[in-house]
Amino acid sequence: MNIEQLPIINLLLFLLMALVIPLLKRKPFKITLILGFVVLGLVLISSGYLLWYVNNVEVIHYTFGGHEARFGIEFIVDPFSALFTTIIAGLAAIIYIYSSGDATEGIEKTEYGRYYVLLFILLMSMFGILYTNDLFNTYVFIEILSITTCAIISIKKKKDTYTSAFRYVMMNELGSLSYLFGVALIYMATGFTNITLISESIQNAYASYPVNIIVALGFMIIGLGIKAAIFPFHIWLPDAHSAAPSTSSAILSAIVIKVYILVLVKVLFRVFKLDILNEMNISTILLVLAGVAMIMGSVFAIAQKDVKRMLGYSSVAQMGYILLGIGLLSFEGLRAAFFHILSHGLMKTALFLSVGEIIYYKKTRKVNDFDGMGFIMPVAMGVFSIAALGMIGIPLTSGFISKLNLGVAVLDQNQIIFLVILIVSSLLNVIYYLPIIILAFLKNEKYRYRLKSIEPTPRTMIAPLVLLGVLIVVVGLFPNQIMIFIEAAANSLLP
Amino acid sequence: MNDIIVKNITRIIIPFAQVYGIFIILNGHVSPGGGFAGGAIIGTTLILYTLVFGREKGKKKFSHKASEIAESGGIIWFVTIGLVGLVVADRFLTNINAGFPEGIIGEILSGGMIPLLMIGIGVKVASTMISLFNLLIDEGV
Repeated sequence: MNIEQLPIINLLLFLLMALVIPLLKRKPFKITLILGFVVLGLVLISSGYLLWYVNNVEVIHYTFGGHEARFGIEFIVDPFSALFTTIIAGLAAIIYIYSSGDATEGIEKTEYGRYYVLLFILLMSMFGILYTNDLFNTYVFIEILSITTCAIISIKKKKDTYTSAFRYVMMNELGSLSYLFGVALIYMATGFTNITLISESIQNAYASYPVNIIVALGFMIIGLGIKAAIFPFHIWLPDAHSAAPSTSSAILSAIVIKVYILVLVKVLFRVFKLDILNEMNISTILLVLAGVAMIMGSVFAIAQKDVKRMLGYSSVAQMGYILLGIGLLSFEGLRAAFFHILSHGLMKTALFLSVGEIIYYKKTRKVNDFDGMGFIMPVAMGVFSIAALGMIGIPLTSGFISKLNLGVAVLDQNQIIFLVILIVSSLLNVIYYLPIIILAFLKNEKYRYRLKSIEPTPRTMIAPLVLLGVLIVVVGLFPNQIMIFIEAAANSLLP
Repeated sequence: MNDIIVKNITRIIIPFAQVYGIFIILNGHVSPGGGFAGGAIIGTTLILYTLVFGREKGKKKFSHKASEIAESGGIIWFVTIGLVGLVVADRFLTNINAGFPEGIIGEILSGGMIPLLMIGIGVKVASTMISLFNLLIDEGV
């Protein structure tokens, strides 16, 4: 057994973990928790090692059953997939530690096992989406991901969660089927579903069947846009993310929608390639979608009274930033988008987890009830403030670095109007994040200087929050260490 | 359902249907069918039994615990066979090169590990069908 086996072993570890949980039902729940943590730790180590390996030694091609790529399924581990699997494993480990501190609010005790089964299948499908080099195989993993996401949203067994889960399923099925239709059209024109083989023959196919390729690209952008909550297709996101338990909102908002946009990146840069994209002027379409998302997501977020819905709409705006970086179709743009995927992942996880802790102890989700919260729950509110400042783009946080990179990328392509939109969107972020921080630390003086009003919280909930807060600042201060890997990932997508 | 005709006919039909399901699972690699189709047939016979004789008697024949073990066990069996290929021939799910006997083409004992995989899929599909049905009855959704 050698290093090439690690990607499939990662997937199998998640799958076997999900299968073992129902068998351990009659044992104490602690065994399951510890075993799950061991699995996540092992996967984190192995994906970190793969990240080092593909950047310094060689890219790994893995074919199942020894069939060559045109007949079988191929996994590729390159700087792109290795980087994002590491990020996903890291964020998932942090969220997992938090969720083990019985913060899974609203879930019945008997459902805990089921929640962790879903979590591990979710992780398996995301790893599969990133590793696979086959469009149809991607579709299969996308279906697994949507079904498990739907189950995680509806796990609380309340009426409103069923409604939002139903809306999620309907919208996402449309997205999956659009994507599948695009794959079918490409298969019709080229005869392959393997991404490497398609990209070799797509130029010829475009010359002989231009309509097929154009329609396929349109369907794939729309389908993945629905799943990644790009602005006009975002309507399922705020409901779904506010209905789910806080830990799963963090996973859905920080990781799952990013995976879909990474599939879009793969489709654009690996399948269609820059020549066809430039000829069709896809860049303009993506940039317009991104610009509208950045403004409208923030505008909707201002109007929200429920803090989790506000964070959901904020995610819509942040997906606009990522799409802006991708839509520039340049190295700088991709670099900024990838960095923002990482920094938004950290910040949104911190926001959802700190809000989750406040909801768990104070049983309130209203933005207005956050007055004076800084004196009752200092750690949660402090991490919330760091992450919110990062969202606005204050220096010393990772959000500043990603906005700086986006600005540089926009100027590089002479798209001044999008720099204006970027700044306006940041100012809109100020309007809805800053009042919460100010009121939490400055209003309600009666709580002040009374240490016994501080809520006692378990260490398993505090530690991940502090870790996230530190990480946001560290990534903001030393972005160059991680930028090496991000630039390698962007380079592997561009010729 | 207290109709004696239905009960007796069900008693007679179920063994034949289950043998047919097993036949389809085992012939998956040489004829149309396979693990999913055969497992679905076996699952339907279990559902038929529960429909005719009631939930209590159905529970006795195929308990919730048994279906949990069968569901997880089906995939664990599949993964284990894949891991044989990974250990012996360096690739997950390797068939002939990992030492599974090829047999004579067209016979039942051929195709290396594919019949073994089909058994795993069949067990999984059959137990999933009956446990989904039981969940719907118990929760009254």
